[in-house]
Amino acid sequence: MSIFRLGDQKPPEPKRINDDVIERFEHVYEVNPEKMQTFPQQDMPAWDTMRIVAARWDHLAWMHKHFADDVLLAGLGSETMPEEEETR
Amino acid sequence: MIASLDSGVLDELRAIIGDDDRVLDNLSSRVVRTRVPAPFPVHRWGEHLPHVAVLPTSAQEVSEVVKLANRAGLPVVPRAGGTGLSDGAVPMRGRGGILVDVKLMNKIHEIDLVDRTVTVGPGINMLKLNEELRPHGVFYPDDPASYPCSLVGGRIGTGGWSLLGSRFGHTRDLVISMQVVLPTGEIVEIGEGGGRKLRKSSTGLTLKQLFTGHQGTLGITTEATLELVPKPELEFAAFFAFDDYMTAHRTTGALTRAGLATLAGVVLFDEWKLRYLRRDDEAYIPQPDWVKAVVAVAMYGTRAEVEPASKRVMELGRADGGKYLGDEISEGDWASRHDRYATPLHGRTREGQVVPMSWHCEDAALNYSVLPQVREEWHAIVERYIDEYGIFDDWGMFAYTNGPHKPWADYLVEIDVGIWEQKLDDDNWAGWVACKREIAEVALKYGGSITACHGATREGDAELVPTEMGSAWEVVKRIKAALDPNNVMNPGKQMMDESYE
Repeated sequence: MSIFRLGDQKPPEPKRINDDVIERFEHVYEVNPEKMQTFPQQDMPAWDTMRIVAARWDHLAWMHKHFADDVLLAGLGSETMPEEEETR
Repeated sequence: MIASLDSGVLDELRAIIGDDDRVLDNLSSRVVRTRVPAPFPVHRWGEHLPHVAVLPTSAQEVSEVVKLANRAGLPVVPRAGGTGLSDGAVPMRGRGGILVDVKLMNKIHEIDLVDRTVTVGPGINMLKLNEELRPHGVFYPDDPASYPCSLVGGRIGTGGWSLLGSRFGHTRDLVISMQVVLPTGEIVEIGEGGGRKLRKSSTGLTLKQLFTGHQGTLGITTEATLELVPKPELEFAAFFAFDDYMTAHRTTGALTRAGLATLAGVVLFDEWKLRYLRRDDEAYIPQPDWVKAVVAVAMYGTRAEVEPASKRVMELGRADGGKYLGDEISEGDWASRHDRYATPLHGRTREGQVVPMSWHCEDAALNYSVLPQVREEWHAIVERYIDEYGIFDDWGMFAYTNGPHKPWADYLVEIDVGIWEQKLDDDNWAGWVACKREIAEVALKYGGSITACHGATREGDAELVPTEMGSAWEVVKRIKAALDPNNVMNPGKQMMDESYE
């Protein structure tokens, strides 16, 4: 039997993205806890966050296959955030 | 709270259905069939309960239930997925009645790969249907934002709108014929004329449109014969960012007028929507502040068509200063459009604190030319109500191409408003209804319709149905009274009680 222990895999310290958003894992955004005083943020272990993110990507990939045999893309990176594209 | 149903009526229902597990008068079975995802007066939940819910498995059972409702003078409320964004499937306050839940009528009766139709019960979901169709290389292209959870019967009843409507048409264009139980209990076949697989005829009257989008007021669809299209070989999606709304609006117009036959949809996000997305959507949080509007384009078809058309889309999307948002967002965000019901529902108070909010999506049908002005007036209305009540949050506006096969001139326009339902009481609910009514009045002022797809079945919209129908309202009332002489079929919806005055 597995027992949930937050301490087993505590998420890393957050990085502030803007006034509303923090980031603990790359491209995984969370509401800034300061904005969650009325309804406090739930503690989550890292594995659970990653499970939710992976499930979301699986779901989106499945959606594409559901609607068409193949997906065609322009083959271009972002023109609004070129710096970020270069660092990938 | 709704009073108990006469035990004699319950006994008759059990005799008709023949299975006590499909005649549900316990509280929990009725509570879960009372509301839909749209904001609901939760403080008056008990007053909207049906007396009983039944789950028929055949048209004959539906027919007998409707005949009983006529004898007993009870309302009948049809319900499929219960995923609508207005109140077609919600019992009217204080009326109760028999809720006919069609979820068990979910069979595929026939797949005809020669004449390209599929015949189904109203309780089947499009996602499940397409999983069954996939091995045959065909597709049923009705694609609402509730694609994974809404059902064919509800789509027909509400006259649903599809994300892919510019390419394949909307629900009413995709239903070829149907079997309907009329408000008096007769079972009739409704189509274009002739057999149930004909797409066009000129015999008699064209009744099919009358039985799509009536919000459950003219009968219950018990079987539908639907269009099959070849499964698209290729999907192409591209998202473009703009530093002001009007440039994005011009680009939207250029894309829709380009004559690209594979164009399935163009979506225009306004400044308020970008503000909301930059706050709460993973794809937009990192976007720079200058991004004030976004235009999204999607195409479906054969490789031979979509590949060259995609190059034209990339030219048009950037011709007036648009910047491509990149493959990752274009691919991922378009996929998420098929399933907006997975969106986490939280909003912000005026002080910026996160609170649980339900999603209200107020829709209208509007012409291209009036989109900029309506956008300003709608946001000004919502802003006033946010200031006054403190339980609403403006989540921005979308405009989606709306004309079936003709994307160039009219749009499904939506303003998304978060509502803190836990704070609802009579005053706050009245405030919300007044806000809705003001939004709908603006749509009418600009020659629009108060709803492109959700239906005008809720307080705040319903009162305006006679105004929008104008001189045709008398015709509507005569049709309703003729088909439903005892006013049992979803009574009170869309002001149709006036048919009996």
